[in-house]
Amino acid sequence: MFTFLLTDIFFFGIIISLFLYIKYVKKTPDILATWMYVFKNKTGIISVVVLSFFLLTAFLDSIHLKSKVYNEDTNEYIYSSEINSVLDIILLPMHKNSEKSYSSPFASKLYSKETIRINNKEEKRIYPKLLFKGNHNKFFSENFYNIFFTIFISILKSISLFFLFYILFFRRKILEKKYGFLYPYRINRTLCSTILVIISIVLILYDLSAQYYVLGTDKVGVDVLYKSIKSIRTGILIGTLTTIVMLPFAIFLGIFAGYIGGFVDDVIQYIYTTLNSIPGVLLIASAILMLQVYMANNPLEFENIYERADMRLFFLCMILGLTSWTGLCRLLRGESMKLREVEYVQASKTFGLSRISIITRHIIPNIMHIVIITVVLDFSALVLAEAVLSYVNIGVDPTTYSWGNMINAARLEMSREPVVWWSLFSAFLFMFILVLFANLFSDVVRDAFDPRANKNYG
Amino acid sequence: MLLIQGLIKIMDKLLTIKNLCLSIKSTDKEILKNINFDMSNSEIVSLIGESGSGKYLTALSIIRWLEKSCIIKSGEIIFKDKNILSLEEKEMRFIRKNEMSMIFQEPMRSLNPVMTIYDQLKESYVEKKNINLQKEIFRNLNSVGIFDAERVIQLYPHQLSGGMKQRVMIAMAIACKPKLLIADEPTTSLDVTIQKQVLDLLSSLRKELNMAILFITHDLAVASQISDKIIVMKEGEILENSLSKDFFKKPKHNYSKSLIQSSNYMKKLKTKDVSDIGNKVLDIKNLKVYYQEKSNSFGLQNKLLKAVDDISLSINAGTTHAIVGESGSGKTTIAKAIMGLTKISSGKINILDKNILSLSYNENRIHRKNYQMIFQDPFSSLNPRMRIGSIIKEGLCFLEPNINNDDIIKKIHEVIDKVRLPKDSLNKYPHEFSGGQRQRIAIARVLVLNPKLLICDEPTSSLDVTVQKQVLDLLMDIQNNTNISYLFISHDIKLISNISDNISVMYKGKIIESGKTSDIINNTGNEYTKKLLASVPNIK
Repeated sequence: MFTFLLTDIFFFGIIISLFLYIKYVKKTPDILATWMYVFKNKTGIISVVVLSFFLLTAFLDSIHLKSKVYNEDTNEYIYSSEINSVLDIILLPMHKNSEKSYSSPFASKLYSKETIRINNKEEKRIYPKLLFKGNHNKFFSENFYNIFFTIFISILKSISLFFLFYILFFRRKILEKKYGFLYPYRINRTLCSTILVIISIVLILYDLSAQYYVLGTDKVGVDVLYKSIKSIRTGILIGTLTTIVMLPFAIFLGIFAGYIGGFVDDVIQYIYTTLNSIPGVLLIASAILMLQVYMANNPLEFENIYERADMRLFFLCMILGLTSWTGLCRLLRGESMKLREVEYVQASKTFGLSRISIITRHIIPNIMHIVIITVVLDFSALVLAEAVLSYVNIGVDPTTYSWGNMINAARLEMSREPVVWWSLFSAFLFMFILVLFANLFSDVVRDAFDPRANKNYG
Repeated sequence: MLLIQGLIKIMDKLLTIKNLCLSIKSTDKEILKNINFDMSNSEIVSLIGESGSGKYLTALSIIRWLEKSCIIKSGEIIFKDKNILSLEEKEMRFIRKNEMSMIFQEPMRSLNPVMTIYDQLKESYVEKKNINLQKEIFRNLNSVGIFDAERVIQLYPHQLSGGMKQRVMIAMAIACKPKLLIADEPTTSLDVTIQKQVLDLLSSLRKELNMAILFITHDLAVASQISDKIIVMKEGEILENSLSKDFFKKPKHNYSKSLIQSSNYMKKLKTKDVSDIGNKVLDIKNLKVYYQEKSNSFGLQNKLLKAVDDISLSINAGTTHAIVGESGSGKTTIAKAIMGLTKISSGKINILDKNILSLSYNENRIHRKNYQMIFQDPFSSLNPRMRIGSIIKEGLCFLEPNINNDDIIKKIHEVIDKVRLPKDSLNKYPHEFSGGQRQRIAIARVLVLNPKLLICDEPTSSLDVTVQKQVLDLLMDIQNNTNISYLFISHDIKLISNISDNISVMYKGKIIESGKTSDIINNTGNEYTKKLLASVPNIK
């Protein structure tokens, strides 16, 4: 049965509004042309594909299911308190079993020695074998060969999978037989190759994970790759949900302060100066602690630990949003103050346009680039802020998978000898890819929406 | 003997540019093509051209301040027997410090707002620490016509007027007693009266310091005031290089002829007598616009700034009334007051016999299409994120809500024809157009409403002369065809005398003289008007 957590609903809301926007764009040729620029740009198309893959992962991870279990005492099926997402089901081979403790990437043994009794007689300190994965062949070369063989097979699989989609998608053009089979590939070369590369990477990782821990295991033996993939949803949620909370405050208050000025300006300025003068961490800490107290006092309101963790994530987004709108608001206030005096705004005043229509027609389009840049920079900053907050234990719930929690755990892993580096590395790698492509994407979008930028179509 | 003479001739040459070619890295387009000219000691050479003609880049390559994207392809710039282009940056810095300097168009932006004048002037003297600095600075400021130097050096740039700032800039530039001064449109942003002072100052300094000046300008009249030699540039090429007196008598090149013609703008004579036709379109009575200057932190000293002080004027249908004055005289404030962009302290503004100040919001909305305004700067008066079609449509949709879509499209196409814009402009963005075309768009935007009164706030002052002529021609043609009235605001009394029927001269918020154009231009009794007329540069 499907269950909806609070953040799921918001995430679906974001996805639906994204689709509505796409529908709207398809109807208006002006904006469609602008977006087509993004899709014709190489960087643009690559980052769109990568980001939509991240979004897809987060989306799959947001569809939550409860499974039925048979209760032997009462002889009926009941829903278990365990909640799994679709992603969990897909990645079942990754997290079905867990090892005892740390093991390095592609290892076949644990990372630390243990005392093991052999034949109930002698005790030996050795590296015990991994219980579930890892190739136990003695020879290094054989192991190596096995990995390569798996990669080779997965690449073949991904190519055939790609062409399956290819034929499904371009069936009409191919059936026309005018241009030949590879013609659609040739015109959409960047798009097709990016998708092919992503499919191969995913399949390789998936196939390897059946036999190895590609990025090692953590302290309690959970696959680090699985943890990193599960963290994508947390990262994207914190980035987008917080932005959605903060944008209305920043945009409306900023524009009203700057454009109307006078008393309104004074009031808004006082609000954000006050908010700014309280350290953000303090506000967040108090809000999270209050929530914790509330949850401790009302345990019945939350069915299971997933809902509690989810509530905490949602609350974190809200409070981060409420504390982070001031910077953008100040920027927008200054910009709209400047725009208020610009002659095209004056010109539309001479037509007698009302304030609202001047703001929507002239001010907002001309500050949108600031909003886009700030949102993307904030997106990366928020993903990082989550890590910092988890460090002081006021971030997401410790049971939630997040890069912040992984980095927090890496604090101890880095200080032990020998060093456990793969947790930090994989959190860094995933965060880096997400933030990098978000930045590249925003660059292209900004160029597209700035008519003064030098554009070369096609 | 011949050798010595030849030697003297060579010695006399300060700067020689040979076959200078310059292009931009990314596009490989040649921006400067084969530039050749030379300058002698203490000679004033004017580089004339419209924007984009390459005159500024020529100057930058002389002082070697080119951006990295520009490459000098070939050519030599020989300054005092040294090829500047082959010098090390270190040597070049020495030359800039001692033998060459440059002054810029905007004195407001060229001075650092957080440093006093003294501190900024001091920077020009770094090489000569031993001399008595303060005395030297005083002497320098005296030579540029600042006589209360003790007071001025303690001030910050914002406390000085535009003319004073330009003087300070010149003082900084001549501090090292350069042999060559490059002046990039030094008077363009100044009022005519101050412009005259700066030009006089430059020509007197030239004699005093034996300094050559490369004067970059788009204004032929200014160039004719000051220069010995005139070089005309267009699209990166030198079209004409001749002595000043020959140039204005017998221009060799056709383009020079058209330049001279455009700067002597003359209206096609009107056929009808304009003295008393039609009724009054605009009638302003005792208009006052006072601003409360912001009080200081103790709430004391509330000063009243009288931007417009008790002004009355009226315009008949089909005529042009011009308001002329220096910056800060309040002429733009009148325009803003009429358009409702600023609050009015007291007075009456009647447009087509309706007092617009007493109209309600909805009445005003119907009435507004009768009076509209064109702004000064076509680069900032069009929203860069809207297409031309929607820019023109904006007023129409709002002021005539009942109009249907077909009518809108029809009207827009008509007006595009009227202002002579290409048919395909509607789907473009403003940045795809030149300054003149943008001003046409701005005109189209208001013309589509079919107004009876059009307020033009310096509509041509940021345009090149030839473009200026086209825009004025357009405005005059529209007036002849539609009987529209203009309230034309300008600082350029010469331009105004050619296009207006009546003139009001404004000074510090008051109209000090008003009357028929011919009367005021030919026999004015007012001292200020006389001064204004005298400082207008005329082509000699």
